[in-house]
Parts: sequence; C-alpha cells; structure tokens
Amino acid sequence: MKQRKNRPPILANWLASKFINEALLEELFGDLKEIYEDRIATKGKFYAKCMYWVDTFHLLIGFGSPQLFKNKPAIMYEHYLNIASRNLMKNKWYSLVNIGGLTVGMGVCLLIFQYTYFELSYDKFHDNFQNTYRIITDKTQNDVDDVFASTTYGIGPTGKETIHEIKEYVRMTPQFGGTIVTNPDKNESFSERNIFYVDTTFLQVFNFPLKLGSKESVFDGMYNIVITQKMAEKYFGAENPMGKPLNLSSKGEGLAVGNYIVSGVLEDLPINSHLQFDFLLSMENYMKLGWWGQIRERDNGWKKSRFVTYITLEESANLDLVHKKLNHLTALYRSEITARENIVEKVRLQPIADVHLKPESYMHSGYVTNYGNIKNVEFFLIIAFFILFIAWVNYINLSTARSMHRAKEVGIRKSIGAFRKQLISQFMMESILVNLTAALLAIGLAFSSLPILSGIIGKELELNILQIPMFWGWFSMVIIFGSLLSGLYPAFVLSSFKPISMLGANKTSRAGNTNLRRGLIVFQFLTSLLLISGTYLVHKQITFMKRQDLGLDIEKVMVFNGPERFLDRSTLEAFTTEVARHHSISGVAASGSLPGDGWSKWNLHKPGETITEGQFATPLGVSLNFPEVYDLEFLAGSSFVQSMSNEDYVVIINEEAVRTFGFGSPENAIRKTLIKPGKETEEYKIIGVVKNFHWLSLREPYGPCLFVLSVEGAGFSYFSFKTNLSDIQESLTHIEKTYKSFFPVDVFDYFFLEDEFNRQYQADLQFGNLFLAFAALAIFIACIGLFALVSFSATSRIKEIGIRKVLGASVNNLMMLLSSEYLMLISIAVVLAIPAILYWGKAWLENYAFRIDIEFDLFIIPALVLVLASIITVSYRTYATAKANPVDSLRKE
Amino acid sequence: MKNKGLGEFEELVLLAVCILDKEAYGLSVKREVEKHSGRSILLGAVHITLYRLQDKGLLRSEMGGNTEKRGDRRKRLFTITDAGMRQLRAAQDVRRKMWQLIPQLKLGL
Repeated sequence: MKQRKNRPPILANWLASKFINEALLEELFGDLKEIYEDRIATKGKFYAKCMYWVDTFHLLIGFGSPQLFKNKPAIMYEHYLNIASRNLMKNKWYSLVNIGGLTVGMGVCLLIFQYTYFELSYDKFHDNFQNTYRIITDKTQNDVDDVFASTTYGIGPTGKETIHEIKEYVRMTPQFGGTIVTNPDKNESFSERNIFYVDTTFLQVFNFPLKLGSKESVFDGMYNIVITQKMAEKYFGAENPMGKPLNLSSKGEGLAVGNYIVSGVLEDLPINSHLQFDFLLSMENYMKLGWWGQIRERDNGWKKSRFVTYITLEESANLDLVHKKLNHLTALYRSEITARENIVEKVRLQPIADVHLKPESYMHSGYVTNYGNIKNVEFFLIIAFFILFIAWVNYINLSTARSMHRAKEVGIRKSIGAFRKQLISQFMMESILVNLTAALLAIGLAFSSLPILSGIIGKELELNILQIPMFWGWFSMVIIFGSLLSGLYPAFVLSSFKPISMLGANKTSRAGNTNLRRGLIVFQFLTSLLLISGTYLVHKQITFMKRQDLGLDIEKVMVFNGPERFLDRSTLEAFTTEVARHHSISGVAASGSLPGDGWSKWNLHKPGETITEGQFATPLGVSLNFPEVYDLEFLAGSSFVQSMSNEDYVVIINEEAVRTFGFGSPENAIRKTLIKPGKETEEYKIIGVVKNFHWLSLREPYGPCLFVLSVEGAGFSYFSFKTNLSDIQESLTHIEKTYKSFFPVDVFDYFFLEDEFNRQYQADLQFGNLFLAFAALAIFIACIGLFALVSFSATSRIKEIGIRKVLGASVNNLMMLLSSEYLMLISIAVVLAIPAILYWGKAWLENYAFRIDIEFDLFIIPALVLVLASIITVSYRTYATAKANPVDSLRKE
Repeated sequence: MKNKGLGEFEELVLLAVCILDKEAYGLSVKREVEKHSGRSILLGAVHITLYRLQDKGLLRSEMGGNTEKRGDRRKRLFTITDAGMRQLRAAQDVRRKMWQLIPQLKLGL
C-alpha cells in the first residue's frame, strides 16, 4: 500500500485531459495538485485521493466536452450508442440477465482480486521488505526432515559481525505461557499471551510506526515496555500511557517479570503483517532476567533454537554467497552438537514477503499462528474467472439466439449500404456498453458485499485496490477482453447474414451455430456441477472429521487455565481435590497441552541402541488422573497410581508408539524402557499402552506419543474436568472461588474443549463456505442464462407449438419438446463431470490422513441439485408456452 | 446579459476576489469563501463560477506565478473589472435600500 511518492491518481488526470479543453488544464491541474497536497497533510492520503476523484469529476461535469468523439465520425458512433441503449431498454429481461450476470461475475472477480491483493500484500509495507529475510533451518535427523522457522541465539549477531552483507539483524522470541499484566494505578489485571522479546533494532528493521515515543530510544531503559494502541486503550483508557508503570508477573522461573515503564505506543499493527503482538520487551531483559541467560554463557548461544532471526541484507548482496557464509558459520559453531545428535543442518533465507503465503510444514512455526496458503488464493482466482466466464457465455448465447430478432435490422442496414465492418463495430459497441455498465455496477456490488467476504475469511478487508492505478489497468483489460470475447462472435454471426434471406418471405437462415451454443451450455453446467460437488465434498469431509470418534473423550470436557507459577505436589493435590468436591465434577486432570495443540518431538531410543537408531515421539506431560478424565482405553498395562512421582519417569504410550519403536505387541511393550539422548540416567518406563487417539485434527495421521507423568512442576497450563452440563454455572462458580482462594493473583479463564478442538477446522470451514458462495453464484448465473435462452426459443417456436397443440399434442408432450434438448445437455455435463470430480476430489482428500471415501452420492446429489434447479428454470417458461391458447399464437401474422 | 443580478454564490466569489487583490485563483478563492461563509465548497464550483463571471465580463484573468507545490503549473489569477465593481456596488445598494424599508419594530428582533 505504500507508494514511492504522493502522486495524485494518474487515471483521474488522464480522464480529465480527455474531456477538458487544454487551455484550462494547466490551471485546473495546478489547483488540484495543491489542494491534494494540503489534504494529504491534514486528512491523510486516502481522503485526499477520494476527494481528488470527486473534484475531478466535478470539473469534468463543469468543463467537460467529449473530445473523444470530436474528430471522428461522431454521428455514427452516437447513433450506434443510441441504438444499443434503445435495444437494451426494449428487451428489459434480456438486458437484466446479461448485465445482472456480468455484474455478479465481475463483482466476484473484484472481491477475489481484493482478497488476493490483500494476501499478497503481507509484510510488504516494510520499507526494506525486499532485502529482509527470515532465517530458516532445515534439519535431517535419522532420515526425518524437519523445517524450523527458528534459529539459535548466536547466528544473528555473529552473522552481522562476520558477514559484511548483513546490515542488521533482529531476534524475536515470545514470552512462553501466559503472563499477568497489571496496571498498578488502576489495579486491573489481564492474562496476556502476545508478548515478544526483541532486539532494540526491531523498529528500525520493521516499519511499525510509533504513535508515541521515538524509534531510537524506546528500548533505552532496562525496564522499558512498548505496547500497541489497542493495549494502551485496554490498560489506560484515554490517559496518556507514556511513562506509566505496568507490572508483569508469570510462572516465576525463566521469564523477565517485574515493574515496567511504558516507553512507546505503536499504532495498531496492520493486519497484513505476519508478526502480531501486543507488547514488546527488550531482548536484554530476557538474557539478564530470564532463564535463557544461561544460554549465552554456556554455548555462546549456539545450542537452543528458540529464536526467530530476521536479517536485512545489502541491496547488492549475492544471496547464494550469503547462504554459503551462513552455513559455514553454523557448521563452525554447531558441528559438535549436530554430530553428536546425528543431525544434518542447513540454514537458508526466506524473504519476509513469502512468510505468509508460502508456508512449509514447519516443525517450529516461528511463533506465527496463522499462515496463509498461496494455493487457496490461486484456486479462488481461477474460480472467480470461471464465474465471469459463465456470465460472458450467457451474453454470447443470448445474443446469437436473439439474432433472428435483429435480422431485419441487419438486412435493412446492409441494403442501404452499411459495410460489414460498420455492422461489426455496431454490435461490438453494444457488448462494450453492456460490459461497461456491468463493470460500474460490479464496483458497487463489491463494495456492498465486502463485509460478507470479510465475515467468511475472518479478516477485515477494505476495497483498497480501487486506489491503485495498476488495478484500473487490469480492470479495463478485463472489460476490453470481456467485450471482445462476448461481442466478437455474435457480431460476426449477425453481420454475416445475407440481406435477401432476411428480408424475403422465407427466413431460412438458422440463428447462429447451435453446436457452439450447446457446447457453451455444457461448459456452464459442468463448471456449476464441479463447484457443487466441491462444496458437498468439503462439507462432508468436515462433518466426518467432527463426528469421528477421537479415541479421547473431549465431549463435555471443560478446561481452565493453570496458574502462572510452579505447583508443588501438595498444592496441586489439595487444589484438585477441592475442585472435585463439587458434585457435578467427576475428575480433574492437569496437563501441559491439550488435544488440538502442541506437537513437539523427542528423539528416543531403546537401551542398547545408539542415537542414530532413535525414533521421534511426542511427549505429553500429564497429571495422575489424566487417562481417566479423557477415557483412554488401555490395551495393556495400567494407568498411573498415587505412589508414583516425577522421578519414577513412568510413561503410557499409544499403539502407534508400540509400532514405531518395534515392541511387537502392546503386552510386550510393558516394562520396557526408552532413553532420551543426553539424559541417559532418566529411563522412561512404560507402564501402559492405550489405543490410538487423535490428539490433533484428522488431517494428521496418528503419531507415536507418550504421556509422561508429572505430579508437580511449572508446566500445568491447563486443567480439564468433566461436568454434566446441567450444573455448569454452579460448578464454574465453585471452581472460580477455589481458584481465587488458591491463586489470588491469577486470572481465571475457561472454555469448552470441544469448541477449541474444532477450531482446527476453521480454515476448512472457511474454504467450504467460500466454495458454497461461489457454487451458488455460478448456478444462479447459469440458470438465469438458461431461463433467458429457453424464453427466446419458446417465443420463436410459438407458432410451431400452436400447430402441434391444434393437432392434439398434450402439455406434457410440448414441455418435453421444449426442454429435452437442455436436459440432454445437462446429462452430458454430468457425465463429463464425473472423472473431473474423481480426480480433484481425490487430490484434495490426500491432504487428510483420515478421510471419507468418494462414493456414488458425490456425483448423484450435486447432479440432482443441478437438474432440479434447471428443471425449475426451464419448466416455468415452457409450461407457460405450452399452456397458452393456440388461437392467440396462430392468429398473429 | 448586463443587467442580470448576481447570484448569492457569485457575489461571495466576487467579494473574495476583491479581498484577495491580485492573489485570487481557484484554490485561494475557495479557501477565502470557506473561511467567511463557514461552509465547505467544492473546488469545481469555484472554477465554474470564476469562468462564468469572466464570461459575463465581471472578472478578467491572466496566467501567473507557479510554485513547486503545484507541480510547476501556473495559476490563473483573477482580478475584478470595472463592470464587476459596479455590479457589486449595485447589489450592495439594493440590499441597503431594502434593509431601510423594514419597519423599525421588526428590526429589534
């Protein structure tokens, strides 16, 4: 959205120069430019641009004289324009179908353009985005490839020192877990999760404008904190937050807590930024106050990969060379570690403009929660064009079908001396008029339906492509292309008629090439059918995923957040017992993560094996009665018992883990041990094996995992309990009271696990809903086209029908006669659609480890929907024609 | 043409041109009128009025100085003609006369 200069809209100037007398232009442009500059300074660019347009149009109305047509045979064009608009007015139905269809098609295109533009605009508002990169680490361990969007602490600063192409670096790491932020003046606390530690160069590398405070000095003080505008309002209301205190407290260990002073307020972050945060703290604090201070001392910061590093390069830098140098650096400092753990490691640079749209399957996502997907964007772009194409097809079909009605006009024009070229340009004029009208209406439509799109994709969009000259270029290209595409064929057909055959008594010439028309109708219905099937498939898969038995009971499970502190065994037990005292609560379990989140991996191996033979499994830290609360089904062994403690290192594994580690059968796995490299003294003893369960969405296959018993610690982020829904309010009050008495400073928050789990299907649902909207539009446009076509063929065959009726044909017979052709075309479309649905349906379902089978209903139901829709459309018209009294139709001549 | 009275907006524009004295061009007139009348006016309306007044012979114009801010384009500077001045005075006279005819009682309102 950032442009190089504040230039006024070029297109407006161009338009004005076409219509306004040259002598006036210098002065007018001067004034316009001057007021434009003023407005930018006072009211912002968007306002200035809008007003520039308003003023230009006003001047156009005041001073405009159409110079476009002045030195050309203007009379002729004016005449064409007249005829075209009269024709449109005369056949209101026909015009409505054409313009309406095209409006919807172009409106959808506009919206999708906007959506695409928005998705492509991610992180491009940074001044130097072209030279800014995120460092990605590719690791291969025991033949498993993983992509990490994270790096070590050391690579940034050391890289800047030793590689001269690197101009600047910024590291970022979040405050793990929840943090309680308090405004001591008001004594108000909230639990916050979006707190980043960043290097002091953060605001220089990234363009997040400061509303208050200065870029250079916001991190000068040790206890400085930068907050966003949203947070400023949340904590300070209308007061000026600068210099005010904020207190941060968290689970004791490892994090930089304390009393901070607000040193800067950022404007609210643009939504097209992959970095989304509420608070910024200096990286220094993390090192001095936090856990990870040890990192630097121990390994010079080259061991743990917990930081995301962004770097900016010199403009002239050779990317390959920088890659080589960075890898050299990594090898230098990390070879010992990588060799020990049998890891092959490579780093590479990812342009920040690619971060949002080209995500990979990250093992570590770089603390970004919401990636986009370029495939979806491309896919929707294609669909939008298909819908537009359906609308153009309507125009082609209708104008050729209608050609009989205009045959006389063409005949007369030809006999009084019109050239074919002139006729073609006349019909082209009509198509341009229709397309242009539709385009203007489409802009209005796009404006009014933008909130709907925003609702579906869950992001607040603005129609800001209208401000870009490039867009208008593209848009006029679309209009010109559309006018040519939809106008050329009818123009050639209509102008090719021989005058004698049109004016004579026997009008024998058939209107247009009916095969082409049939082909186009089949195409329309094929497209609609594919869209309906797609919608149906997506919704069926989502329903399947939601209904599938997870192997874990998450229904009626409620979760509340754990306190931000270390819990020793006695406190934990006292607390859970107290919570469970309420009659409607059957059991309370604490855990580090919940179904639906967290999927880290440990490399484990059996005793006697070496690290190179290790396998990956997911560790889940849980309290004693977690298996009972979640109804895990034991295949062998038994659950945790009261006498066990953290130091016993007992685990329960799942079937998949039995398979991965090669224990043979669940029974065999019991009492076996697993070793985590580097901690050889801690052997994990397997005491039970449970059936496979879905910890994550059904997109993912079952993974090997182990429940690690934890009876005390700081990692209890969540407490889950089962409740019967009738007493929910009462039990919540009870829990909150207990919570407050145990942990008075923590903030109590709760949710239903099932809702949270299903949130994983949010993206699929959005996809399905967009699909549904597209399918509905496609069918709608295709059907109104069909309706108009049937109407025309019915009116042109009205005499034939009259005679047939007189000779004894029934209404049913006649309806069949009129609609059988279209029904046949639809059947062809259905047959053609089957292989396409099979192919694409399969390809899409490949994304899901657990998926539905493609069954017969996937073809039948969409086909039925389509057939039903078109029968309703067709029969409405044919019935009226067939019912009509033959006397009326035969009497007219 | 001659004896047609001035419209209200025309009168405001003419007055603004007089006030600005050799510095009157589209944008400055717009600002001046906005300042005194307190309403917001479209630039185009000012331009159209200025040209209409010129056609009526009440204003004359010449191209004048350019500034960086205008993208190096010159301004068209308007000045009032004698006819223009006469018209303004006439308008003023009409008003004054009519004001005087309002009965004293009502003036107190």
